Amino acid sequence: MSKFARDEACPCHPVSRRTFLADVGMGFTGLALGAMLQRDGIVRASSEPVWTPPTGQPHFSPRAKSVIWLFFSGGYSHLETFDPKPALTTYEGKTFAETPHPNPLESPLHDKRSRSVVPMKRDVFPTIYPMQVGFKKYGQAGVEVTDWWPHLAGCVDDIAFVRNMWTTDNDHAAENQMHTGRHRLDEVQPSLGAWVDYGLGSLNDNLPQYVVIPGAPRADNRPSIGAYYLGTKHTGVPLPLDPKNPLPYGLRAADMLAEEQANEFELIGKLNGLSAVEYPEDEALRARIRSYELAYRMQRAVPEAVNLAEETAETQQAYGLDKPETKMAGERCLAARRLVERGVRFVQVYPSVYGSWDSHTKLKENHTKLCAGVDQPVAALLKDLKQRGLWDDVVVVFCTEFGRTPGVQTTFSNGAKDGRDHHPHGFTIWFAGAGIKAGTVHGATDELGFHAIEPAHYVTDIHATVLHLLGLDGRRLEVPGRKRLEIDFGKPIAEILA
Amino acid sequence: MRIGSGLLLCALLGQRTLPAAEPVDYARQVKPLLTKRCYACHGALKSQAGLRLDTAASALKGGDGGPAVEPGQAAESLLIKAITGVDGVRQMPPPGEGERLSVEEVAIVRAWVDQGAAAPADEQPQPDPRTHWAFQRVERPAIPQVHDPAWVRNPIDAFVAAKHERQGLRPTTPAAKGALLRRVSLDLIGLPPTRDELHAFQSDMDEDAYERVVDRLLDSPQYGERWARHWMDVWRYSDWYGRRAVPDVWNSAPQVWRWRDWIVNSLNADKGYDRMVIEMLAADEIAPDDEEAAVATGYIIRNWYALNSHQWMKDMVEHTGKAFLGLTFNCAHCHDHKYDPITQEEYFRLRAVFEPIQVRQDRRPGEPDPGPFQKYEYTILRKVQPLGAVRIFDENFAAETFMYRMGDERDRFADKPPVTPGAPAFLGGDKLAISPVALPPTSYYPGLKPFIKESETAARQATLQAAKAELNNAQQSLVARLARLTEIETQQLAALQTAPAQGTQPPPVDPKLLDRQGSAQAALRPARHAVEVASAHLATEQALAVSLASRIAADIARYCGPVGDPETLARTASRAERMAALRVAEEKRLVAAYAAESARLTTAATPAGAAKDQAAAAQKSTDDQLIAAVQAVDASNQALVAEAATYTPLSPVYPATSTGRRKALAEWIARRDNPLTARVAVNHIWGRHFGKALVETVYDLGINGKRPSHPELLDWLAAELMEPTLVTPPPGAPPLSKGGQGGSGELVSDASSARDATPPNPPFLRGGEEGVLRGGEDAGSWRMKHLHRLIVTSNTYRQGSSAGVTSTGNLAADPDNRWLWRFTPRRVESEVLRDSLLFAAGQLDLKLGGQPFENTEELTSRRRSLYFSVYPEDGGHPKFLELFDAPDPCDCYKRSDSMIPQQALALTNSRLTLNFSRLLGQKLWDEAAALDTGDEARQTAFITGAFERILSRGPTAVEAAACREFLQRQADLFRAEAKDTATAAAAAQGAVAASNEPLIRAGESLIHVLFNHNDFVSIR
Repeated sequence: MSKFARDEACPCHPVSRRTFLADVGMGFTGLALGAMLQRDGIVRASSEPVWTPPTGQPHFSPRAKSVIWLFFSGGYSHLETFDPKPALTTYEGKTFAETPHPNPLESPLHDKRSRSVVPMKRDVFPTIYPMQVGFKKYGQAGVEVTDWWPHLAGCVDDIAFVRNMWTTDNDHAAENQMHTGRHRLDEVQPSLGAWVDYGLGSLNDNLPQYVVIPGAPRADNRPSIGAYYLGTKHTGVPLPLDPKNPLPYGLRAADMLAEEQANEFELIGKLNGLSAVEYPEDEALRARIRSYELAYRMQRAVPEAVNLAEETAETQQAYGLDKPETKMAGERCLAARRLVERGVRFVQVYPSVYGSWDSHTKLKENHTKLCAGVDQPVAALLKDLKQRGLWDDVVVVFCTEFGRTPGVQTTFSNGAKDGRDHHPHGFTIWFAGAGIKAGTVHGATDELGFHAIEPAHYVTDIHATVLHLLGLDGRRLEVPGRKRLEIDFGKPIAEILA
Repeated sequence: MRIGSGLLLCALLGQRTLPAAEPVDYARQVKPLLTKRCYACHGALKSQAGLRLDTAASALKGGDGGPAVEPGQAAESLLIKAITGVDGVRQMPPPGEGERLSVEEVAIVRAWVDQGAAAPADEQPQPDPRTHWAFQRVERPAIPQVHDPAWVRNPIDAFVAAKHERQGLRPTTPAAKGALLRRVSLDLIGLPPTRDELHAFQSDMDEDAYERVVDRLLDSPQYGERWARHWMDVWRYSDWYGRRAVPDVWNSAPQVWRWRDWIVNSLNADKGYDRMVIEMLAADEIAPDDEEAAVATGYIIRNWYALNSHQWMKDMVEHTGKAFLGLTFNCAHCHDHKYDPITQEEYFRLRAVFEPIQVRQDRRPGEPDPGPFQKYEYTILRKVQPLGAVRIFDENFAAETFMYRMGDERDRFADKPPVTPGAPAFLGGDKLAISPVALPPTSYYPGLKPFIKESETAARQATLQAAKAELNNAQQSLVARLARLTEIETQQLAALQTAPAQGTQPPPVDPKLLDRQGSAQAALRPARHAVEVASAHLATEQALAVSLASRIAADIARYCGPVGDPETLARTASRAERMAALRVAEEKRLVAAYAAESARLTTAATPAGAAKDQAAAAQKSTDDQLIAAVQAVDASNQALVAEAATYTPLSPVYPATSTGRRKALAEWIARRDNPLTARVAVNHIWGRHFGKALVETVYDLGINGKRPSHPELLDWLAAELMEPTLVTPPPGAPPLSKGGQGGSGELVSDASSARDATPPNPPFLRGGEEGVLRGGEDAGSWRMKHLHRLIVTSNTYRQGSSAGVTSTGNLAADPDNRWLWRFTPRRVESEVLRDSLLFAAGQLDLKLGGQPFENTEELTSRRRSLYFSVYPEDGGHPKFLELFDAPDPCDCYKRSDSMIPQQALALTNSRLTLNFSRLLGQKLWDEAAALDTGDEARQTAFITGAFERILSRGPTAVEAAACREFLQRQADLFRAEAKDTATAAAAAQGAVAASNEPLIRAGESLIHVLFNHNDFVSIR
């Protein structure tokens, strides 16, 4: 899978292998040093049954090697995307109470699935807002998809939709909740990408294993890529796809010559090697020597990995790089494919501008434009993964932080009544690729698209599904002293697994 | 029917039991299951329903519901019914109390019962959690006798050597002098030694040379900064955050840095740890008038959260528990603690201690008034207020704390009354001595502080003087205009007199003169008005000055004792303030009247048409304003009639009584017999000296925490912190003993003061003839410098980091160095890395304290890294520091210590290292060039200088040769590439340009390499 030559010459190798034990022949990006050494047999297994960090091996046979996590920030409307509800048009302008359907506001689920950060109840909007777009059934599976997704509509037979998602934060900290499983008011937990990075070994030592394109979207969304108690090394590494700034500190200074730097790396290696002779038992020193070799290679590997110019014109066109409306999402999706191809474990992609799906007003205008921006690139990604034989290695997750209210939002001083508010009670996400039962629709919301019908899925079920596909058991990743709750682990969504 | 279906279910499940022939091993298969799933409620911690399951015997005996196990009859056994939830027995564990047993696990338990429920006869019940080691009073353990007393420099070594003996280990050789100096410097002040310090120490052959270094370091103000950062980790220091980009302050406060400075100062002053804890929790109650101490409550303010006060309370409970007591109270938020004897109610009792609090914002001398603390309102941004100081006070004396379910404050236990403040009963915290604290007036009413009265009075005087000057100016201006008019009229008169008469008509007046007269006349109107307004304004200012003086007088009478009659003075102040308000209103009326008249004149002068309509509209508006101004005067006059004694205070007035809850908690935490406080503190201190704490779970010394590696040492250190018995001589005093042990005896025990078990003449205390017995007069209780000194002067600390030749067996026996037979090298913290870089380059600014600076100043700032902003949002650390495990401001009881290639990239590619390499390179070349020797000698001097500054040691011959070769190679490269445009274009923004001289540039490159050396980023 790795395209990058592992044995590329590195100048920091002047000390003979026999001189010291440092060259263990393995990298450790994203792995605890101790685990790495244990993996390599340097540390004897202790006789006491003490806790040890993960070995980097899956707990059971994995279905997928890596993950492309497409996150659409702001909360897309489940109703106008993958969970259309004709009843909304039928009862346009009526309140929930005036329809023949059970009033969702009176359901006990209503309080359970909505918790404000500020201790006051968020306004509810009981007047039904009609569907803003038409829909049809597509594929052999006959999946209802709205008219805003002409390209993805052609992929439904490859996708498993989950229409009964719920979360609890009714504001945008739900974005962090989607990644950590915890409400803003609960203790922080590491993000899903960090758990994956922590649990699994590296597929390519020259690249970071958990990357975020183009980086944490906003300062307060840091928990979405954070590793918290797993340690900084498991934090998502931002890859802004900017040739001038491919990776933090990823480029040699402009006023430094390539050979000058190569000479420096060589001397660093030589001097550290001499120290290693004096301190043969210093594991950290040996690991540092190795990390300079990796760094030297990473400095070259990262820009190469995100160099989209290497792709054919045909591919670039397929992803929509040639059109202004699809260029951004296209580049991000294409870079994601290149990264998983090179062995990156977890690529977290924000295909749209941060928060842009948040459609309190002008939902139709907003979603028309945003869907057009991502529809073709995401569909191209799916086709490309299939075409390149990556389909059985990569799982794609398409998700957002919550859905949008079936009722019309009416709180604006300018009288605007053309959008939907945040809706943690029910929303839709989908999976595709490795280990996924293609052409599936799992779960549903009620007739009005309000509540995810039980048994429904809290966000950690997505995490459990992803970990399961990667061969990991979340419980076995638990760190002593860092108690996790039942709800943190979630359960894999068995119905969508192949 | 019900029983039948239950039996049927049992039968079905029974099919999945193990074959009856396969005997179940209770100890191996059953007991671990019961431990994991049942003990929390049916063990030593609690025996719910009178049932304990921690021994087979107790299971047989059963509880309120009868025996839990009927040997041989699983289907009849209550235990089996409970874990399967049949026969109407509630399934265990109940929801929210843990995972249920799987079918396979049930089968094991069932088979064990069916096979007769056999168990070892000597099975011991789970010990009472109250007997857990860390919950026992700290008693000073006896110092062990060891085989090699010569190695024992102080009691620490005795405890460590005892473990060595038990493990068959031998301590390694002592560290080389240079390495030791570098280690202790980085450790105590976070900076490497200077070259001069290195040379001085290496040539200092006195026995106490090292001790003098330690004293110098502990006396250095940089000690406070270095160790403040450690404690800031533990106490979760964070600058404000929430929405930094907006900005909108949701968490902590912009002024919280004063707490950081308080930590630095307290450590430098060697304030007792107990006192520090007390001040952080309750400075406002124990030293209400001490503004310097009050900022210590920044510890509490750091947890403030605008949007939801429950979150604030939650963080206070969790982190007060972890930081000071090493207890995981957070586990008892939703249910009773599963390991430690802390009930859910006790969780809420601890919360109740903090329930009344609020933040207040006080003015500081020399600064403008920041106004009151901005509370949160849903739609209003909270601005970044850098002025003033924030502190905690009890706002709501009667605040009630209600228990709720599962961590969701919306789900209150309706049937439970509010809980009273307290701490866990098992630590004696259920009877906190809480009594309300009457605060001095200057504390609850900061407006009484002299500096506020003085600066307000001075400000009033200044505006009064300005008003006088303004009136004077206005009057002079009017006089000047009158004079001008007189002058013009005189000219007209003169013209008339001189002009020839034309018949009966008066002689024509020069139109120019008429114009001038007209404008001079017109200029009189505003000038007269200006005098009127200035007079009124002066009256206002005089009234305001009287008002202020009267309010101050009334304040003094009211708050500061018998000076006049408070009631009369309050009435006077009240009236003076209303009088001032009247004057203000009158002044405004005057202005409004003038504006209205001006508008009327304009309207009259405007010809009919659109312009006139506009003018009329403007006139209407000024007329309305005049009416309002007249009404305001009337209202002020009305107000003056009333008899009142209220007046505006000079600052917010807070409640005069504090609940005393936090004071009681803090004093309870800091008590000598609180078993946890000192243990937690010394464990943190030890961990930061050695890279590994004695109890690895530094925030959990409870039952689920790790066991200490050296329990007696931990207890001895805790006892020594609280009740010091060893005394270090004052700096400069002659060594107290000279003996064969090479400088031991600096530490002298006062045997007579050792109240606890006095060890039989420990080896380091060699009788009265050499050791001077002195009481703990210069090492007061809870002083941390004493502990640092003991630790870093021990032989344990002075060991080398190499396994060495004498101790090859050690490595095999104890590769992790758990038993401290050598010094474990470790990477320096992110702050130490940057500070060392700047310091070695001679660029570090050692100014202490002040406002934090922004992380975007990463490249330009020369201050210590401690002073960068830190907060848990993106951008909350300088990017460089973040890669080296900069502290997570929400949770950093222990720093993580990662090793990733991005660190190597940061050290090689960052502008920071490159810039400082070049600065140092140029400086060292200048020094070397000053040597009047040949090129080769200069290069050698350069290399040696670089090694000594950066690595605190000279190069070995091999290293020096490699470096010389490197210098040549780089210099050749630069010569060949001299025309290279990339290098010529050099300077990116903020870049220090490389030297044009190839050899110097090669030297800069060598410095850059040494900053990447493992030993530069390590403490070894």
